[in-house]
Amino acid sequence: MSKELIDAIVDMREEDAVKITAQLLDGGTDPLVVLDACREAMGVIGMRFETGESFISELILAGEILSQISAIVKPRIQKGGAEKKIGKVILGTVQGDIHDIAKDIVGFMLDVNGFEVTNLGVDVPPAKFVEAVKSSGAKIVGLSGFLTLAFDPMKDTVAAIKAAGLNEVKIMIGGGQIDENIRQYTGADAYGKDAMAAVALAKSWS
Amino acid sequence: MFIRPDNWNQMSPLERRKARLDAWQNAPVPFINPQAEANYKERIERLRKIYDMEPHDRPIADPFMGANEYIVRRKGINGKDMVYNHEKLREPLLEFHNEFQPDTSAMPLPYPGKVMDMLDYKSYIWGGQKLPDNLTIQAVEGEYMTGDEYKEFAADPTNFWMKKYLPRVMPTLAPLAMLTEFPRVSENVDIIDLMVPFGLPPFQAMLKTLMEAGDELMKMLAIVGQTGAMIAGAGFPGMGFNIVKTPFDYLGDTVRGTKGILTDMYRRPNDLLAACEAYVPVLINAVISASDRNGAPCALYVLHKGADGFMSQAQFEKFYWSTWKQVMLALYEEGITSYLFIEGSYNNRLENLAQMPEKSLVCHFDKTDMRRVKEVLSDKFIIAGNVPASLMTAGTVDEVRAYCADLVELFEGSSYIMTHGCYFENTTDEKLRAFIDSVKK
Ligand code: B12
Repeated sequence: MSKELIDAIVDMREEDAVKITAQLLDGGTDPLVVLDACREAMGVIGMRFETGESFISELILAGEILSQISAIVKPRIQKGGAEKKIGKVILGTVQGDIHDIAKDIVGFMLDVNGFEVTNLGVDVPPAKFVEAVKSSGAKIVGLSGFLTLAFDPMKDTVAAIKAAGLNEVKIMIGGGQIDENIRQYTGADAYGKDAMAAVALAKSWS
Repeated sequence: MFIRPDNWNQMSPLERRKARLDAWQNAPVPFINPQAEANYKERIERLRKIYDMEPHDRPIADPFMGANEYIVRRKGINGKDMVYNHEKLREPLLEFHNEFQPDTSAMPLPYPGKVMDMLDYKSYIWGGQKLPDNLTIQAVEGEYMTGDEYKEFAADPTNFWMKKYLPRVMPTLAPLAMLTEFPRVSENVDIIDLMVPFGLPPFQAMLKTLMEAGDELMKMLAIVGQTGAMIAGAGFPGMGFNIVKTPFDYLGDTVRGTKGILTDMYRRPNDLLAACEAYVPVLINAVISASDRNGAPCALYVLHKGADGFMSQAQFEKFYWSTWKQVMLALYEEGITSYLFIEGSYNNRLENLAQMPEKSLVCHFDKTDMRRVKEVLSDKFIIAGNVPASLMTAGTVDEVRAYCADLVELFEGSSYIMTHGCYFENTTDEKLRAFIDSVKK
């Protein structure tokens, strides 16, 4: 049955996936087993994205399927099964920019690769990044931005994190017009061309 | 205005294209002096040869797509001015053209700020309204058509747009929903249903606001039109566009949102396809009549959600390309060239574009691999692109020069227009000059 759930998610059969989840739970399957199946399915989709066989359309739909399943599963879980994470990442789209599709894909790929991701959303001011780093103790920050207008807020965010004395924190940036030129301009530690690069960078810093 | 020659029905697509380009090239311009006239003619002749894919002395550099904001910002104009104070743009624009002597004219798009206020327009926010004054205008996505409404749209796109979409996105137009279904106006008594809304206070109030908005629009158009004529009169031809999109992008950008439309491909594929099909005749008609009205020989597509990565190749061909191609082919038959502003990257889609007839396209790229473009498309189509906005913003003059020189070399022997990959707000005069002069011998 778990296998059927994995297949349904991977094949983007939304209704089937939700139906199978309900059947599994009604049949007495441990909710944590259902969540494991979801994780496995997301891993497969993530792998396909890496090899160019999966697309933004699928990642968005997979995200929506997953949130429907968690809405059914979560209330039945007694205690949160704490899985081991490689490290914490603070992620957000910088101030003045509301492009969130790419950022969410980066979050998704970091998550399926074992990172605990705090997604601050869009139009995030520098102070909010600083606050999140301080309160979580995360050592990695990912800044996303698609507008040329995002270059300066990125630079300001990098400066704010340094000014707060968080010098051991590594900062990566990415998004549409971002490249090595902009990395230098902003003073970030690295630029990542896609979500796979984000994962590789985060792993190299953990 | 474009007037069809008498033998239009006997003309081939390429003959029609020639007729439209001839009319555009020879349209009257109020030149300020003989030198300006000579410069204009030399420039438009070169651009024409590029459009015709005939031998020419050098490529051209077109600052419009990338630098249209910078060229006024460099003189202290801000975003709010671009939306509300169109007369303030004239001096800086004339100065820019004079100083830089670009191959083509450039100016910010004419955003009608006061009119947008009067309509209470929801799908954008702009400087002086909800954005700070330094910013110009930004799209905000919303779901203006629910998934269940696809069928209603496909059954009658115009009716849906008039009675559902426009009232939702411009609340001032809400009374439009009171109108009857026009094709049922037939018998004399049907005039009653046709006219009732015009007698009711909310509809009358709307009409009054619309007349005021119309007056405002005319004021703005007079200013912008005058500026455009002065730039042309000083010797700088424009490229000649009407803006359009693909059926999929109209639905995705305007009424469903990026996430909405991408998931619709799984959740309601047939409804989505039917809606794209329903768009085809609407767009063909709209572009042909706009081109006839203003004489522009090209339709400029801003392309969004069919780029690499957004969807699989099979989805692209099924949902995006099939109906888009129908529109482009119909315009080609009418002699209208499709200018594609290809945002993001299109490395996987080049073979689709290659199916189009020779000279039917101008392909303007952002992140696509220009070496493959050269290989796959440059024999058939006019190519444009792709100096990065990041380079213009944060690179050095030498880097800009080197990037442009590479492109000139790569497209030696092709019909090539040097442009930016996307627009930017900030650069320096030196970098912009390096870009504009990169094609000059
Ligand atoms: C979809 C879109 C929108 C949607 C956004 C919907 C949403 N919920 O995100 C809407 C319609 C709302 C929108 C609005 C605007 N947009 Co827009 N938009 C786009 C578009 C078409 C696609 C962007 C996208 O999502 N790509 C999909 C992602 C997944 O692609 P990707 O880049 O390959 O993603 C990878 C990498 O970037 C990387 N990555 C991303 N983030 C990070 C972070 C880290 C840390 C790392 C390591 C890697 C990384 O990993 C990703 C996954 O592999 C682009 C054009 C284009 N094709 O690029 C324009 C574009 C980005 N937009 C642009 C503009 C101008 C705007 C507006 C100002 C438009 C306007 N005039 O109204 C507004 C601005 C709103 C705002 N304040 O942000 C311009 C930017 C130009 C500029 N100089 O700034 C672009 C380039 C279009 C253009 N050619 O003019 N837009």
